[in-house]
Amino acid sequence: MSTLLNSLTTELRRGTLTLAVLSQLKKPQYGYSLVQRLEKSGITIDQSTLYPLLRRLEKQELVTSSWDTTESRPRKYYILSDYGNKIFIQLKKEWEKTSQELYILLKGEEDDGTD
Amino acid sequence: MELIELYIQEVTRRLPEKNREDIALELQSTIEDMLPDDYTEQDVKEVLLKLGDPVTLASGYRDRPMHLIGPRYYDVYISLLKMILPIAAVISLIALIGENVFGDIGEKTVIEVVIMLIGKGIAGIISTGIQVFFWLTLLFAILERTDTSKDQMPLTKSLKRWTPEDLKHIPNISKKKVIPKIEIFGSLLGISIFAAVYFNAANLLGVYEGRNNGLIFVTPSFNQEVLNSYWPLIFCIIILGVILAIYKLLVGQWTLKLALFNAIYQLLSTITFIIIISNPNLFTHEFITYISNLFSINEWKSSIYWGVILIDVFFTVLESYKGFRKAKIR
Repeated sequence: MSTLLNSLTTELRRGTLTLAVLSQLKKPQYGYSLVQRLEKSGITIDQSTLYPLLRRLEKQELVTSSWDTTESRPRKYYILSDYGNKIFIQLKKEWEKTSQELYILLKGEEDDGTD
Repeated sequence: MELIELYIQEVTRRLPEKNREDIALELQSTIEDMLPDDYTEQDVKEVLLKLGDPVTLASGYRDRPMHLIGPRYYDVYISLLKMILPIAAVISLIALIGENVFGDIGEKTVIEVVIMLIGKGIAGIISTGIQVFFWLTLLFAILERTDTSKDQMPLTKSLKRWTPEDLKHIPNISKKKVIPKIEIFGSLLGISIFAAVYFNAANLLGVYEGRNNGLIFVTPSFNQEVLNSYWPLIFCIIILGVILAIYKLLVGQWTLKLALFNAIYQLLSTITFIIIISNPNLFTHEFITYISNLFSINEWKSSIYWGVILIDVFFTVLESYKGFRKAKIR
């Protein structure tokens, strides 16, 4: 893949990252478990982006965090807050709308091509 | 183990004190999560490679920007710089004039004085330029870091968001009417050289003779007392010249008003010149005797006098006309 295509793809995906992360935080997750869950659904995420993103979401009060020290190694768990849940639902709607619109747009372009 | 600690240190030392411990702990547990149970140094390296450059990771954690002046302020910053730099340069040149009207030149020749003043003028412009650049950059770097608003849109000169109304404030200057900044700097430098030479004429202007491998100042051409007696007139001309330069800088282009002001200034300078040159005691006796010995100028005296006045008037009219012609261009 050319570098230009690479950077355009990254840019395209960047905006969806927050939505992807929020969607997985209905149950508490720690950093690495979140990475694994996202990767299982085929979403590769730059880890140097994810951890700071979690912190930012916490600062924006979309998620809350707590340390679990009962296991062998302490882990920081993140979970969606009430406010975060509300925002997530709205953001999800926006995404569905956008992808629908874009789908129609791209479909139309395809049809124009075959005419 | 060693590598992991070093990596975490590299990240956290770039972060604010209060977050360091928490982020270090989280990174530690994350890295351990990523490693297999029995890991080798190679495994550690692979994991750290996945996390990427510690600088990038740290900048992700930080809220503060990694640039001095970002897109929000950049355009205002550049516009202000372009606006203030010429003003600062003009102020430094005005200070140079002030310095030389009242200053003592010392033992120097005319050429030396002119070169010294040009040098001082350029040095002054450069040093005030650096000062302005430094303080303005510092101011905007601080603004960039203290601006807490979520708004990321670039700002206009009034530090507000752009609206179509802003278009009305843009001056429409045609290239042919524009006054080059260098012309303004040049005229101010010219005024300061004139002031220095005028008030030190007895030391600077006169007859030089080549003796002993050097130029010797034989006799001054002008009576300094006569020149000095005209100081109120000269001061008026200097102050008017400075105001004219500032006005040119502010308006930026030739207008009818400016052309009129310019014409008045030219006229007053010429009148002053004629008044001073008409004073019978302007030249020293020694100078007149010296010149009379070299050339027989006595019968030419009045022709030279009128010739000089005619040339001066011609240039005055020409300069005034130029201003009006440029003002009339559409």
